[in-house]
Formats: sequence, structure tokens, C-alpha cells
Amino acid sequence: MITDYFRPQTLDEALALLSRPNTLPLGGGTLLSHLQADSVSVVDLQRLGLDSLRAKGNELEIGATVTLQQLLESEHCPAALKSALKLEAPLNLRNSATVAGTLVSCDGRSSFATALLALDAKIEQAIYDNSIIVYRVSNIGEYMPLRSTKLITKITIPLNAKLAFEYVARTPSDKPIVCAALAQWGGKRARLAVGGWGKSPSLAMDGTEAEGLESAAQNACHEATDDWASAEYRMDVASTLAKRCLVALQ
Amino acid sequence: MNLTLHINGIDHQIETPVHTTLLSALRGLGFHGVKFGDEHGLTGVDTVLLDGRPVNAGSLLAAQAEGHKVATIEALGEHPEQGWKKTDGLHPLQKAFVENGAIQCGYCTPAQILAAKALLEKNPNPSEADVREAISGVLCRCTGYLKPVQAVLRAAAEMRGEEQVNWESVHWDLGNRGDQPTNLPTDQFTNVMTRPKVVVTPDKQTWQTVGKPEIKVDAVKLVQGKPAFAADLEKRGLLHAKVLHSPHAHARIKRIDARRARDLEGVAAVLTWLDIPRVVYSTAGQSDPIPGPLDTFSLDHKVRFVGDRVAFVAAETPEIAEKALSLIEVEYEILPAILDLREALNNPTIIHDETEYVNFADSHPAKNLAAEIRIDIGNVDKGFAEADEIFEAEYIVPKVQQAHIEPHVAVTYWDEDDRLVIRTSTQVPFHVRRMLAPVLGLPIKRIRVIKPRIGGGFGGKQEVLMEDVAAHLTIATKRPVIYEYTREEEFIAARSRHPMRVKMKTGVKKDGTITANEMYALSDTGAYGCHALTVTGNTGHKSMALYVGDGEYRKSPNIRFYADVVYTNTPPAGAFRGYGVPQGYWPLDRHLEKIARAMGFDPIDFRLKNAIHAGEYHPFSTAWNEGREPRPEIIHTVGLEQCVAQGKAAIDWDSKFGNEAWHSTQSKIRRGIGIALVMQGTAIPYLDMGGASIKMNDDGSFNLLVGATDLGTGSDTVLAQMAAEVLGVPVDDILCYSSDTDFTPFDVGAYASSTTYISGTAATKAAQICAERIKIRAAKMLSRKPALSNVEGSKVQGQEGDLRPDDIRLANRKAFAPDGSFVTLAEIALDTLHKSEQEQIMGVASYVSPSSPPPFAAQFAEVTVDTETGAVTVDKLVMAVDSGIIVNPATASGQIEGGMTQALGYAVCEEMRYDEKGQAIERDFDRYHIFRADEMPELETIFVETFEPTHPFGVKAVAEIPMDGVAPAVGNAILDAVGVNVDENPVTPERVWRAMRA
Repeated sequence: MITDYFRPQTLDEALALLSRPNTLPLGGGTLLSHLQADSVSVVDLQRLGLDSLRAKGNELEIGATVTLQQLLESEHCPAALKSALKLEAPLNLRNSATVAGTLVSCDGRSSFATALLALDAKIEQAIYDNSIIVYRVSNIGEYMPLRSTKLITKITIPLNAKLAFEYVARTPSDKPIVCAALAQWGGKRARLAVGGWGKSPSLAMDGTEAEGLESAAQNACHEATDDWASAEYRMDVASTLAKRCLVALQ
Repeated sequence: MNLTLHINGIDHQIETPVHTTLLSALRGLGFHGVKFGDEHGLTGVDTVLLDGRPVNAGSLLAAQAEGHKVATIEALGEHPEQGWKKTDGLHPLQKAFVENGAIQCGYCTPAQILAAKALLEKNPNPSEADVREAISGVLCRCTGYLKPVQAVLRAAAEMRGEEQVNWESVHWDLGNRGDQPTNLPTDQFTNVMTRPKVVVTPDKQTWQTVGKPEIKVDAVKLVQGKPAFAADLEKRGLLHAKVLHSPHAHARIKRIDARRARDLEGVAAVLTWLDIPRVVYSTAGQSDPIPGPLDTFSLDHKVRFVGDRVAFVAAETPEIAEKALSLIEVEYEILPAILDLREALNNPTIIHDETEYVNFADSHPAKNLAAEIRIDIGNVDKGFAEADEIFEAEYIVPKVQQAHIEPHVAVTYWDEDDRLVIRTSTQVPFHVRRMLAPVLGLPIKRIRVIKPRIGGGFGGKQEVLMEDVAAHLTIATKRPVIYEYTREEEFIAARSRHPMRVKMKTGVKKDGTITANEMYALSDTGAYGCHALTVTGNTGHKSMALYVGDGEYRKSPNIRFYADVVYTNTPPAGAFRGYGVPQGYWPLDRHLEKIARAMGFDPIDFRLKNAIHAGEYHPFSTAWNEGREPRPEIIHTVGLEQCVAQGKAAIDWDSKFGNEAWHSTQSKIRRGIGIALVMQGTAIPYLDMGGASIKMNDDGSFNLLVGATDLGTGSDTVLAQMAAEVLGVPVDDILCYSSDTDFTPFDVGAYASSTTYISGTAATKAAQICAERIKIRAAKMLSRKPALSNVEGSKVQGQEGDLRPDDIRLANRKAFAPDGSFVTLAEIALDTLHKSEQEQIMGVASYVSPSSPPPFAAQFAEVTVDTETGAVTVDKLVMAVDSGIIVNPATASGQIEGGMTQALGYAVCEEMRYDEKGQAIERDFDRYHIFRADEMPELETIFVETFEPTHPFGVKAVAEIPMDGVAPAVGNAILDAVGVNVDENPVTPERVWRAMRA
């Protein structure tokens, strides 16, 4: 149960509060507001000014508390990422859920995280180091497996990469059973992520070109059996979806 | 903490715990339009506008909302007439929802309207897709979203200042398919069309209100978010109940110690099986005697499924109650569990070994058998011997959830007369009272059950599921108690549709005549046998009866239906709209489709050749009647052929079926089209009884009191329409109230598609009694001299001599003599109540029917199948229905649209499964997906009217039949698209993919 609520005005203040035990950052609140665990304090990030979107050169900087819907409505948001965002949550939740909160809490069925993994998004986190705020940037591929609890301040995605997203679900708006996101840069770099099961989406391939894409997709699904589909099915379909992503980008 | 919340333009200061959600804070402040639907914001009924954007109030801390503008439905509009005070009336969105029939149970309506308001403020001219996207965060289980979407489009048009359709002036050409209303002002209104097509029968009379799309009598209340639901009651000293659920599928409670929980501050009571009387009963909300075993206790020393009850807690807050649950110490002796229905029969593990178990019919707890059905009609073996070909196959249907958006909720309290009041969201208030009396140790007369508005039921509330929890705690504490299920409890501890494995065997002659048809259903009732016999009986009764064969076989059909209903250690199954029948039509209709294709018959001709005709006996009526004495029954009306013709035209069957070019439009995508024919029942003959009372008020209005239970279907409205028709008044003058066991006459409740037919007849009869008294009085008044009244517009002399009551005609709030002179009903009311020979004009009537006239329907589906992934998209559903005369096309079509949508989930995505320990895999609306507004196929409803002679207005049922045909029609369409059979529903992508690779 949440026992203390703070709404700091500065990042400094927020980090100080978050350094206390049993204290968690509160983004949109869509998950934490239901927390049943004993005695948790929350630090509401809404006044920290982390809710802006900025295109900067070849990158889009997404503040940690930008909501999923804000990002979806942004003119800079790639169309395929918009599709992935729509699947992530219904509109009402997208109006509250923040991009950082979603990354912190999502599982492998997250279409948003799958797309960001393909885009090789960068995660900026802030920490106190000897009373000084230090920002550390990691690739999403490094961040996702461990999900370090440090406060996310920004997510950056490339604007010079093309993105395609394909999925299979029980219904058009259901969470994906299998999804694939393929990002391709002008220099031919191709990066494929697959999702739909497990704790996090998986990076299937990051290469200089798209050759071997289908088998990479298959290989990423070897252990992908759960209550929703078999690994055999996901291997086959992930391969198909990867191929469709490639066709879409071509 | 102290907070200031800016709600609807006004600052509200509150002191509240930190963990308080915005939902709790708002409801605590009296904003009841915002509702609880689930813990994760996925139902969206907790929608409010935060700085103009729709968000889930249940997914925000109240503290997060400080400094923001919060808007609730209460800020929009209100009833235009408030006595001497005039208001601006309803907001255009509210008005459009009311007028377009967009409200059924109304539980999600405020949320949908707020979401739409946010859209229209940004985009005054939205497309249908925009509207669907805007309300996609609000789940509706009743409407299928069609009418809400149309209402938003209509409101948008009005807010843009565009000319509105005057629906009263629209001419409806109810002839051939393709006709549209001809005098709509402009084309732009075609997308806000809300009326279904109605193909009228020549037998239909012209009535004043019956047959008209009257506005629902509760619509204005619901559209304002008024505190109309069970949880909206505010009682001083209210305690919150929670239940400790079993973590084990099968175990004995060796030791239970609640001392630590009782010692927790704020806990008022903790009850375990040691604390309350041990009374065996059934939770199935049915008439006496319950047609099933008595095998349930409020609390027991054995648990039989994960989610079974272990202890009850009442505390000052829900959080304290939750905390108390964690302090109850329980030591279990874990027993082997049966989780697969195929392993249940004669398993050495016996789920019901209690000595108090009371058998019904062939139940046999030592065999884990809750019910056994053996029905033989004709000579089935001879029929098979005469067949040219015999087809056999097995089909599987899943366990699914009713998923009403309002969870189960009950509030109990002692009234000033020491009578226990149970205010509950139930479909069966009178059964609740009768069945709980022995459980609580109270005589029936000391219990009063009030059914307020219900936020959907779909059979899930035809169960006396949890009222006893609150009642026991009120008895223990003497205080009012509320018990509201969480969404997780709905999944682990409520009821569901029975999952089954069904074997079909069908004999067919070369000419397409079915010579014998056999179904065996192995049905899983879960841990308790509620509805076990009756649900599974209907699986055969209402599906296998449709096909009697042709020629000689038609005269003496050969049909066999056997079933074993077994206990397993899974949550109990129960009633769910359709009541066993959808489980029958998936195997039956899929099987017939296969036979037609294997033998080269046109699938529609094959079905119609063997389908039952008007004037024939319902074959099962000679052999089975839900465990009671069978009574043969003739079916008077069958509109099936017309349904097929209308549906084929609507979906353009002839240009698609068998047309390869249509099927193959893209390289990896194939299209398919399918049909299923279905029939249902209308009430249970000789058993279902409904009562109604009507009394006349001083102004010529009437109170109609019914025990019937409107659970969002609009039954209050159609009953009012029938009464209004008889009494010659507008529906506005009928004040319908349902239901309260102290005030309203008995009614079995809302199930078995009975209300319009049974309770409608009762209301009609009660109205006829009133009308008779009114006519007697009117004849006297009109015979008096000097003249008392007018011919429309001009003063005339009164009637010479005595008028006979039979000469009087009631219409337009008046009683007319043959010469056109009249007295108003208000004058009659004043005369009878105040002036001469005073009497209270009222009528009380009840009705039980010897008939159960089946509605019929042709269900069509159009799909696209991704041949590489197995993904199926249902593009269009058309249902042509013979439900007799349609009393209210708006509410009736809403039933069909909502039913088809629920059935669509059954077809493609809904399924409740359990792991190897019996733990539920689906516990929320994330894993258990129900259709949202932004992913719906096109829906079309056509009513093919017949006049059912056993009802005063010719009606049959409409509520359940839309559940029956969608899944098989979708399965058949997949077969049509890609040539493979998926014999297990839902047809998930992997199941289709595997079938294509087999």
C-alpha cells in the first residue's frame, strides 16, 4: 500500500527522495496506484518537466513522462511505432501511462518495447553521485534484461531509421501473440526485434544487412512456448512477419 | 493527506489516505457516474476527463489529480424539467445516447460519453473510425458498440448545427432487402442510422407503442450517471467484505486460526466454517425444487477449486479487510485434484464426499457425476442402419466468462423492523430471498431483496453467488456490509459457460435426408453442480431439435442426446446467455457443414431440407423437460426460410459463395463466408412465472410493478410498452419499477429468454384488468348528463342512455365513446380516487405458459484468413432473426448486436484455462480479451417477424439466440476460405495454422 506521496518540483529533489528505502518513481500511476505491498512511498514525476518531445538532428528525444498517447500524436512518431503504441494499451491508459513507466513495467508482449528494441533506443537514467546528478545512457538492449531501477529521464530514438511493425493476435486490438519490428538505417544496418512472450522482447538480429532475417526471427523463438502459443508456431510466424517487415521497408 | 480536487469547476477539499485512488475519492464525494469495473483500467468505466483527456480514475491516485481539472458525467447535463427550476437539459451526447438506443445496462454509458466529449472537443467532425478509437478504452459487453458509435456521430452532427432526422417522420419501407428509409434529409445521415430492418408479418396489427423504438424508460437516469446501481448506495457505518480464497484446487482445511485477523484494528468480523451453520444448498438461481444437486455450503472445511471460499472478513475499509485476510492462518491437507473433465468419471478422487450432499435425478457424487442425461427420440439405431453415410467427429468448446462490466456486488443491512435487506445486482431477486433463507437461518418473510439497476448479467447473476457473504457478515456485526467482487474474483470465483467435449454421429441418405442424429456431451460443471443438468440438457434440447430430417423421418425423427456432467476441481460453471445452446451449435452446425461439403450438397439447402417446420412437434418436448415431466408442444411459427433469404441478400451470399475470385483477393489472404442456422427457446413451459401489478394514479399515469429483472436488456421498457398499448397511453405514463421482493409481484427473474414473453403477458393481463375498470368508469361518466367531455376540439352533448364498457376505446390518454366523445384518463382517475364511488383502479396478473415458442435465426459470417499465420479477421456478421413480433426494434436490435459481439469473442478469442495446479491463467481483461469498439466487424440485424399465436402481441424471445450461431458460422467461413476444419473454438491463429498444416 502506498503510504507516502511526494510531488517534487526538481530532479534534484526527486533523486533525493528516491534514494530513500522503499521509494518508487510514479509515472502515470497506471500500475503503482494499485500496489498492495506494504509501505511504499511514491515520487510523482509530473512536475519535473520530463514531458517534452523534441526532434534533435537525427533523433527524437522523448521525455520520461511523455505519455504513450502524446508520443502517438507526435508528428515525429514513425507510423509503425504508432501502430505498436496503439496495441500497447487502450486510449484511456495511453493518456496516463508514460513511456518510461511502460518500459519499466512491460513484459515481452509489449509492442512498444519491441519497436523500441528494433530502433535501438537509448535510455537515459539519472543518479546521484556524490550529490551531483549524473546521467548514464544505455542501449535498450542492455537496459531491458535487468531494468535497473535508476530513474529514467529520457528515451531517444533515431529518426534516420525506417521502422516496420507486424503482429499476429487473436483480434485486431488484442496484445500480440507474436510481433516483429524491423528498423533499417540508410547504411543498411538492419535490426530485428520480436516479441509476444516472456519477460522482454528479444533482439533477433542486428546486422549490416537484412540477409538471414527470417532464420534470425526463427532462432529468437526457440524457447517461446507459453500459454498463448507454441515455440513452433512462433518460429514460423515470426519468420513470416520479419519477411513482411522487410517487404514493407522496401 | 489533505487534497484539493478541482471537480466540474468546483474545488473539493478532502482528507484521505495516501493510497486513495481518484475513483474512490470521487465516489466518496458522491460522483457516482464513475464506476468500478476492474483493477487495471481495462474496462474504462472509471473514465473521467483529466484536463480534457479521458483517463481511468481507478488507475490514478487522487493525489495525482491535484492541480488538474477533473470532469465527470455529472457536469454534462441533467433532466430538463426540475419542477419550477428549468435547466439546459441533457448534453447533445446524452440526448443522442438516449434517443439512439445506445444505452443498455448503462454501466459504461457515462464513460463512453466522456470519452466522446473529449473527442468532439478536439474534432467536431469525426469519422466513424475516430469515434471507435475514442471510445475504445471503454468496454461495453451489452451493445456491440454500434448504437453508441452512431449516437456520437449523431451528437456531433447536432453540435455542428446540422439538420437532424425526425425519426417519427421517417417512412420505413419494410419490403424487400435493400430498401432504406426514403425520406432522410441528406445522405450524411445514413451513417447514423440506428434502426434495424424489420420484415413485417401480414398478421401484425398496427399498434400505438408496440413495435415502436420507444426510448428506454431508464435511459435518462443512466445517461446522467445517477446512483442507480447496487454499489451506489451510501450507508452510515458500512463495512467492506473480503473473502479469503483457496490457493489449492482440492484440499481439506485441517486447521484455521483467525485470531490475528480478528485482532487487527478496524476488523469487525472474521467468519470461518467453524462460525456459521452448515447448510447444504445450491447456488443456481432456479425455481423450487432446484433441478440439480445440493452440494454447496457458505463455508466448508473442504475447498474444491482454486478460488473456493475459506473465510469472510468485514472491516472498516477494503484495505484493512485485505490485510486481515493475510493474517488468517490456514493449514491444508492437499488432495489430488481433477482438472481434466475426461478424468473425472469414476476417478478414485471424489470431489463431493460430504454426507449432506442431496442428489437430484441421476447425480452420483461417488462417480463425480453431477448429472446424467439419456434422451432417445424415435429409433436412432434404425435410423443409422438406414443411412447411406454416417459421419462422426468430436468437437471441443471452451469455458468462457460472462464478463458483465459491473462485477457482482451486494449490500446488506438490517432495517428498522429487524428484517434483512439485501440490495444486490441479481437477475433473480425472488430466488435469492427463497434460497438464502435457510442458509441464513431466517424465514423468507424476514428477508427483503432489492434489485436496483444491473450493470449486465448475461446469466452470471442468475446465481445466488455472493449475497450470503455480506449477509452472514451483517448478521455477525449488525452493521451494513458491502461485498463487491474484484475483476480477478470474477475470473476465479464466479461462474462461467460449461466447457464440453461433444461427439457427433449423423446418418444421411444420398438425397440429403438426415436419418438419425446423435450427440454425446461430456460437460464440465467444475467444483459445484449449479445448473449442471439444465445447461447441458439445453445443449441437446435446443440444437438437436432443429433438424428432424425430411420425409418420413420428419414425422418421426431419430435423435439421441446423451450427456454426462462431471465435477472437476475448477471454478464452477453456471448460467451464461445461451444456457448450453452455443455449446450445442458449434458441434452440430460445424458437423452439418462438413457433411454438406463431403456429400456435395448446398450447405443451406441441406440444412433447410432437414430443419423443423411450423406445425410440427418440438421433438424434445415429448422426451425431456429439465428434469420434470415432458409435455408435447407444437411449434407454431418458423421464419427460418425467410431469415435465410433475408440474410443471404444482406451479405450478398450468392455472389460470394463458390466464387473463387471473391475468395482470393491477395496472395496470402483468403476470404470465406459461412452460415449457421439456430433456434433457441422462449421461457420454460409450465414453470416460468411472471407477475405484474398496475395501479392508476391521480393524473392518469400508472405504476407498473414487475418482479421481472431488467438487467440492461430493456425489459422494463417493453413491458411498459405492452401495458401502455392496452391502456392507450404513451410509455411516459407508465412508471415501471423492478424489482423488490416486498413490493413487486413474484417473477422467476431474467433468464431463459422469458421476460418479454412471460412477464410481458402478465403485464398485458394486468393492464387489461385496469382497462376494464377504466372502461366501466368511462362508460358511466360519458353517460352522465350534462355533457362532460369533448369530441376532439368541440363541445358536444353527453351520450344518451347507457354506454357499455365494451363500447369504449382507450387511446391517446382518453377513453372514447363510439361517437368520438371522450373523457381523459386524468378525469377518470380523479373521479375514481376522489369524486364518486371511489375505488383504486388496479390490476394484478401473472402468467405461466404452456408453450416455449422457439425463435429461429440465420447467422452469417464473412472472414479473411491469413494463410501464413492463421490469423482470422471477422469482417461482417449478419443475423436475420425470427423473434415473433418485435415490441421495440431499438432495444431488440441492441440485444442482437450485443449478443453477436459476445458470441464473436466465443468464436475467436475468449477462453478460460488453468495450469497444472488449477490456477487460472486468465484473471483480467488483458489476458481475457473481449472485443473493443475499434476492432468490431460490421454488424447487421434483420428481424423477420412472425406472429406467435400464444402471446397477446405475438412475441417470441430475442435475448439469447444471438449467442448461438456466430462461432459455427465463423468456423464454417474459415472452412470456406482455406478448406480446413478447426473443431475446437475459439479459432485462435495457432489452431487455424495447425489445421492448415495438418
